[in-house]
Amino acid sequence: MFDKSLSLTELNYRVRDAIRDHLPDTYWIRAETSDVRPNRNGHCYLEFIEKDPARQAIVAKARGVIWSGVFQMLSVYFEQETGQPFTSGINVLVRVSVDFHELYGYSLSVTDIDPSFTLGEIARQRQLVLKQLEEEGVLTLNKELTLPEPANRIAVISSPTAAGYEDFRDQLLKNQARLVFYTKLFPAIMQGDRSEGSVIAALEKIFHYKELFDAVAIIRGGGATSDLSCFDSYGVAVHVAQFPLPVVSGIGHERDVTVLDMVAHTRAKTPTAVAEFFINDGWKTFSDLIGLQDRMVSASEAIAMKEQNLLFSLSKEVVHQSMRLLQKETAGTQQVTATMGHALKQHLLQQSHLIEKREQFVQMVSPQNVLRRGYTLTLKDGKIVTSMQDLGVDDTIETRFRDGISVSRITGLRTSDNSQEKKQS
Amino acid sequence: MEKLTYNSAKKELETIVLAIESGEMDVDLLTEKVKRASQLIAFCKEKLTKTEKELQKILDDIV
Repeated sequence: MFDKSLSLTELNYRVRDAIRDHLPDTYWIRAETSDVRPNRNGHCYLEFIEKDPARQAIVAKARGVIWSGVFQMLSVYFEQETGQPFTSGINVLVRVSVDFHELYGYSLSVTDIDPSFTLGEIARQRQLVLKQLEEEGVLTLNKELTLPEPANRIAVISSPTAAGYEDFRDQLLKNQARLVFYTKLFPAIMQGDRSEGSVIAALEKIFHYKELFDAVAIIRGGGATSDLSCFDSYGVAVHVAQFPLPVVSGIGHERDVTVLDMVAHTRAKTPTAVAEFFINDGWKTFSDLIGLQDRMVSASEAIAMKEQNLLFSLSKEVVHQSMRLLQKETAGTQQVTATMGHALKQHLLQQSHLIEKREQFVQMVSPQNVLRRGYTLTLKDGKIVTSMQDLGVDDTIETRFRDGISVSRITGLRTSDNSQEKKQS
Repeated sequence: MEKLTYNSAKKELETIVLAIESGEMDVDLLTEKVKRASQLIAFCKEKLTKTEKELQKILDDIV
């Protein structure tokens, strides 16, 4: 028995040789990375795992290594192509050789990688998450929210030490338009395995204070691209999608759109762009207000102008009318004056005619004229005799003619039949 | 009186502006409405441009 026995080393050598003999080539394998840890010498150690898609339980596992010479090139190439670093939790297609070391055991050493597979896998994963969100009817919920007016109280989810957060605050608080903003940081781990839970915890905290905020900004500083898997995760997406405040994403990823970007109310590329979004929105709010003010001013000015015009034309009318009246009155007065003058003249004329006639009459009936017409005037003792009664026989009387006086002595008196009448006339 | 918010102020302002624009407003009422609108505009402008120290303090106090 003892002679047939092998030392562990001898067995491991045999395993090594068997593997070398039976798996002499390199093989393209599909697996998920885990526990990726580059060391100081430039080598990268990791685990390859495979999960059961339904249960997410690990069903296969192998240690892996990427030697320094390969890893230098591979990591740069992978990041260039996929926009994300070679890290844990990603599905990769790698070419490996199968090694067995008597001391370290079974491991896969990576010689090549196909980034397009990872891209496809990421996209496929995203599609799966999006599809699930859609089926649950939450995919567009956050997009359907209306950004309140004004949207200037902003809850920020960020790593407190990230340069991106400072950029965001600077940009927002020193805006040219001098719009006022309030920010409150809810710190979170923004990359790595713990980021998903951390971001969700921050969202839950903001939810507790949701009345104090108008919107949420999820931002992550620029710098080197890093693991985005947290922002493609179902957990973060489903929280963001159903969040009662509009969420604006700015996770510093230029290349492609994460699930978070898809479900967020608004997607901006960088934290600075998120700040610009809020500033522009604030400026629009402000402009709307100024627009209303302008409309009010011009509308009320129009009314005032109209009223003024009305007043002006009214007063013009008043002036015009009174002028007309005055003119009419003046004319009337003139007319009256003229009429009066005329009437007066007429009257005077008439009067003077009358006077003339009366004069004529008076003249006509004057004793002189009467005498001239053949009548005589009888006087006794210088008095006009009008009745026979005043005379007696032998009275001396004067008979006045037109052209002289005769003196006679009465020799007889005869009373006429109509002496009564004569007496009276 | 109900506490004025940006939203309620803007809504009231819009109503006033529309009424003025309709051109059927009495001139005596106009003066009154313009005065109210100016108050609302000032209120809204202040909301957009003046920091409320009280609010910032409330936010700062969240831990």
